[in-house]
Amino acid sequence: MKEVVRNVFIKSDNTIFTRSKYGSHYGEKVSEGFREWIPWRSKLAAMILKGYRINFKGNEKVLYLGAATGTTLSHLADIIDEGIIYAVEYAAKPFEKLLELVKERKNIIPLLADASKPWLYSGIVEKVDFIYQDIAQPNQIEILEENVRFFLKKGGEFLIMVKARSIDSVADPREVFDRVRRSLSKKFEVLASDSLEPYHRDHIFIHAKA
Amino acid sequence: MKWKVWFGTIENEEIEVSKNLIESFEKASNDEPLPFNLFEYGLKVFQNEKEYYRKLRQVAIESTEKKVEKEIKREDKYAIALVKALEEVEEAINLLKEKLEDLSEIKEDELVKDFKEKIKSLEGLLERIEKEIDDVMKKISPNVTEIAGSKIAAKLLERAGSFEKLISLPASKIQIIGAEKSLYKALARMRRGKTAKIPKHGVIFIHPFIRTLPKSKRGKMARFLAAKIAIAAKIDYFRGEVEEELYEAVRKRYEELRRK
Ligand SMILES: C[S@@+](CC[C@H](N)C(=O)[O-])C[C@H]1O[C@@H](n2cnc3c(N)ncnc32)[C@H](O)[C@@H]1O
Repeated sequence: MKEVVRNVFIKSDNTIFTRSKYGSHYGEKVSEGFREWIPWRSKLAAMILKGYRINFKGNEKVLYLGAATGTTLSHLADIIDEGIIYAVEYAAKPFEKLLELVKERKNIIPLLADASKPWLYSGIVEKVDFIYQDIAQPNQIEILEENVRFFLKKGGEFLIMVKARSIDSVADPREVFDRVRRSLSKKFEVLASDSLEPYHRDHIFIHAKA
Repeated sequence: MKWKVWFGTIENEEIEVSKNLIESFEKASNDEPLPFNLFEYGLKVFQNEKEYYRKLRQVAIESTEKKVEKEIKREDKYAIALVKALEEVEEAINLLKEKLEDLSEIKEDELVKDFKEKIKSLEGLLERIEKEIDDVMKKISPNVTEIAGSKIAAKLLERAGSFEKLISLPASKIQIIGAEKSLYKALARMRRGKTAKIPKHGVIFIHPFIRTLPKSKRGKMARFLAAKIAIAAKIDYFRGEVEEELYEAVRKRYEELRRK
């Protein structure tokens, strides 16, 4: 077993885990202080399994947009074990499950809010080192940029997950991805980007620096 | 400039600490990004970092818990009200268009222009209602919206009466929601010993995957789509998490039927 990112381990059979003091959150297996991380359920796990790395120190301040029921967030909270994650989600239903996670973890601050209106939580979220966005919205880039403007420290980084169909339901995914990458690279330094196949069809990630 | 933060207000570097943290937390909105780091001011109010986050987290959990409960109770009502508004505005537009036609056949004058303007402004309103329906449905019923589109998803909810009722309907019922009238007519005919066609689809008929198929295959697609909608509605109601496989299955079935 090899530690590839802080508290993230990959076994020789290509399964991935986070080191964790906590129990199962979404049906993943837990044993001897490790939680299995299912790449079909989490785009961040898929990205790491495909060989990409993010150099987390563990004490970062992170803004997470689109937390849903907290599947990926639960693992990110294992990684950022000495930091703070502000978790934004606007749908009430998945938030019920998210709250279970939040009550267990001391390093997550929950926000039931619309990520396209960052001013509404501007007096709550501090300046952060990292933004993670997974919201599947046609204007997700705009939303990202507003959140960068409000909260990201200079030199901070972000990681976004893009689903082709939610940006443009008819265009060829490759074309959509090119468009998104091009528009982001005008303002930011793109560090890495790739598809998330075979784990997530027609999805890519983009890791960039402000 | 007075900045509103979750633990009070900050003006000219002076902090006024709120007496009700839940209230200040819920009103911590500012038009522009704060020109300072909130956390540093927070440290002046709370003894240390640990205490700052402990309090913030406690307030956030308490406020969010209440909001979540309240929203779940009323969000389907809002979507339903929007659908009703949409249909009434649509009707008003059609009515005005008819009148406009009558009028302009006879005389082209100021009044006709006023009619045209009114119609245009109502069409603007219609667009805004549609956009709101789209936003709301994506949020409260992401899976049904993903496979059926927000308009169909909202109309199904409205015809069913509530989210709870929608998830109790079998797929066969979902398939013909919105076609009840023609169903009753057909049944009445059959009761009289005549032949009649049972409708194969109601509001789901406007779905592009049904409309673009040859007539002979639409029934099959409608049945499949309705079955998936029934599953999607339950996931939305109980978990609210997106299942990518649902859309994939619907798309595959469509491709199959199209090729055959
Ligand atoms: C694909 S899911 C996220 C999955 C999650 N990141 C994970 O891996 O566990 C997208 C989520 O973004 C949320 N979302 C979409 N638009 C949003 C917005 N404007 N503000 C906040 N949340 C949003 C949706 O409700 C949904 O729960």
